[in-house]
Amino acid sequence: MNVLAGTRRLARLAFRRERTIAPWWLLAVVGLGLAMVSYIDRNMPTPSVLATYAETINDNAFFRALGGGDSVIADRGFMTAWRSGGFLYLLTAIAALLAVVRYTRADEDMGRTELLRSGLVSRFAALTSALLVAATVSLVAGALTAVAQIGVGLAPVGSVAYGAAITAAGLVFGSIAAVAAQIGRNARTARAITLFALAIAYLLRYAGDASGQAWMTYISPMGWIHAVQPYRYDRWWMLAVIAGIVAVLLAIAYLLSNRRDLGEGLLPERRGRATAPHLRGPAGLSWRLHRGLFTKWAIGTGVFAIGAAGVGTIVPDIDALPPDSFGLLQQGFGGDGSAGDYVNFFLWAGILLFAHVISIYPVLMIARLRAEERSGRAELAAGTPMTRVRWAAGQLYVTALGTAALFALTGLVLGFCYGLFTAELPGPLGRVIVAALSCVPAAWLIAAVGFLAYALTPRYAVPISWAVWAWTAVLGKIAGPLYNVWGGTPLEPFHYLPNTLAGEPFSPSTILTTVVLAAVLVCAGLTALRHRDFGR
Amino acid sequence: MTDPVSVSGLVKTFGTTRALDGLDLSVKPGEVHGFLGPNGAGKSTTIRILLGLLHADAGTVRLLGGDPWRDATELHRRMAYVPGDVTLWPGLSGGEVIDLLLQVRGGRVNTSRRDELIERFDLDPRTKGRAYSKGNRQKVALIAALASDVELLILDEPTSGLDPLMEIVFREVVREEQEHNGRTVLLSSHILAEVEALCERVTIIRDGRTVDTGSLAEMRYLTRTSIRAELSGPVAGLADLEGVHDLRIDGGTGDDTVVNFDVDAAALGSALRFLDSQGVRALTSSPPTLEELFLRHYGGTTEAAR
Ligand SMILES: Nc1ncnc2c1ncn2[C@@H]1O[C@H](COP(=O)(O)OP(=O)(O)OP(=O)(O)O)[C@@H](O)[C@H]1O
Ligand SMILES: [Mg+2]
Repeated sequence: MNVLAGTRRLARLAFRRERTIAPWWLLAVVGLGLAMVSYIDRNMPTPSVLATYAETINDNAFFRALGGGDSVIADRGFMTAWRSGGFLYLLTAIAALLAVVRYTRADEDMGRTELLRSGLVSRFAALTSALLVAATVSLVAGALTAVAQIGVGLAPVGSVAYGAAITAAGLVFGSIAAVAAQIGRNARTARAITLFALAIAYLLRYAGDASGQAWMTYISPMGWIHAVQPYRYDRWWMLAVIAGIVAVLLAIAYLLSNRRDLGEGLLPERRGRATAPHLRGPAGLSWRLHRGLFTKWAIGTGVFAIGAAGVGTIVPDIDALPPDSFGLLQQGFGGDGSAGDYVNFFLWAGILLFAHVISIYPVLMIARLRAEERSGRAELAAGTPMTRVRWAAGQLYVTALGTAALFALTGLVLGFCYGLFTAELPGPLGRVIVAALSCVPAAWLIAAVGFLAYALTPRYAVPISWAVWAWTAVLGKIAGPLYNVWGGTPLEPFHYLPNTLAGEPFSPSTILTTVVLAAVLVCAGLTALRHRDFGR
Repeated sequence: MTDPVSVSGLVKTFGTTRALDGLDLSVKPGEVHGFLGPNGAGKSTTIRILLGLLHADAGTVRLLGGDPWRDATELHRRMAYVPGDVTLWPGLSGGEVIDLLLQVRGGRVNTSRRDELIERFDLDPRTKGRAYSKGNRQKVALIAALASDVELLILDEPTSGLDPLMEIVFREVVREEQEHNGRTVLLSSHILAEVEALCERVTIIRDGRTVDTGSLAEMRYLTRTSIRAELSGPVAGLADLEGVHDLRIDGGTGDDTVVNFDVDAAALGSALRFLDSQGVRALTSSPPTLEELFLRHYGGTTEAAR
């Protein structure tokens, strides 16, 4: 059989499906890159300010390692790539790896591939077309960024190197996903393997740069990409190394796909337990089905809270920096703009950053509600006395508790590690935990809106809940400074939380209002679910 | 005692599709009731309404004396369901799914009954949902339903994908359920032999409407019998006889005549008397096969039965 048979047709189909997905990733990549340039321009307007920043950053290993490399230089282009690089590499890598899994394993899971493969479609057609999509998305992300960076007046050579590094990130993790799609037996496993590889790559790179143990950076794919160092060294040969590694990964993926059976993986299916005496109700079912998701989130949150505490050790040195932007930042998080003690404001900003990320967890849990219904599994459950309202309530219960647990964990780890690193335990530990927990109702509110959307228009529930999440993140206090709105906007729930860390009074009415609002939305959702047709 | 299932004038539309259009169905206590109809006739839709998953647009629906939309939780304690398309949770083993479906009913689970059914259906309860074959997925849902201590079983094509051996086990178990435990079963099926073996009464629907309901014996009686006869001489006048259809006359050996025709049950006597008067030498009569019976209803014309 011709090894390319059917590829063109499958690729065309994949590109068509991608039309509604890729633009959002590209928008995020280019938008974030440009936002970072204007952020640097606003806050480090003169070479001397830039130099002061560079000096402060170089003095703190935890902070310096955020953007990669062993030191930073006072250069506009370098500083933008240093600040935005980590995000853009990550975003492009995720866009590419999700695309590869979407057009390989996910289709195979749905049985679509089996149908196609019975026609004149080769064993490699799906993999090839998925890789074409991922490569195109990565290439466009890199090219658009390079053009945008040149457009705002940055060095053309450096900008092209930066774009190339972004493309390389997509290609590396796209090819890792191609291998993972052969190994895992289903899309979820393939995604988990690749995202795990991404997380490890990121952590190794960070740990290597922060500790000076360069070998950790060198064994990490993220390390290779950061090693391009655009606007400083522009190491083109690093791109050649990456291309070689991509070629090896692709060869492995094709070899494996040539040997494995359709629908099978290399990881054998584990056997389950024969009985489940404790699986007796909706909450138990929800926990049993989604505990893996929670565990991954708990591990991720914990690890990044340790990292955030490490980065936070730079805060006491901030006194050396010009006060303008930090004053604004501090005002944004509830200060008067003049206080010399930035620590409490930094910790609160850190918690809010975590809050936006943790809010993704309830969004995913609501999306799973929809997936359960669409797959027909919920119908099996709904034929028992566990009717849809109780079934959904179980999921909401687990989601609410899981979200609260993630916030508690963040507060605990961040507060404890910060105290540990600055040698002043317990330090702000208690206040950090309380502040973290104060964010819980706002995250519940995001989940409640998503749930109401699920109950009313199941088909649009997933895009609506993501839109709600993006709304709170973009209009929040964390993203605000990127577009010069210090302190965010009052259009999202986290805005109303007082910074109790810095001594603002605790506000029971804010908490209560948010909880009541969330409860009302959930009740409305349950009622709507009760009254609509259920099933696929 | 009220009928466990009683439906009349049921209407359900999906957008512009009218899936159910005045459907009637009644299932008597303790019977196994066959629910038949061509693909897309509305069987699964009716069943989903009976489960309170879909809301009826018009008509009355009573399930175990209650309203399935309003009293779903209470009613589901007293019934069990096997969906037409069984999808299992990929990460849960068959044993876990069975336990889950049994335990959410509350009360004590009859574990010996569960184990006996797992044994009889030859299921490996430790396999994960995603690794089961189609037939084995079906068995998981079937075992969970059959092991529940309930009055009513609603089974939507429960044996699709089962091998012939398992089909026999299924029939045995359903018969036991009905005989020893007095359970009522609503069985939607495309397997006519299964319907013939299990069901006292059947309801046939087409395009969302009930086209026939009653016992199989009655239905047979009301349908035409096929006759093949060899007569010693030429035949005349048979075609004019009331109730005779699709007559074919062939010349036999010598001056014999062979006639083939269908005759309505009510006209069978007069047709036989007529043949007798014509000097019948050999006669074979075949009652309509179940296939013919259903094909007539499904296709809506006698021609479809040929
Ligand atoms: N959710 C839905 N949206 C739109 N149309 C639907 C929906 N569910 C069912 N239908 C339509 O309703 C009609 C009846 O479908 P139903 O599934 O009840 O048929 P069925 O008798 O169970 O068929 P089969 O023997 O193939 O299982 C079909 O025309 C089907 O296309
Ligand atoms: Mg059906």
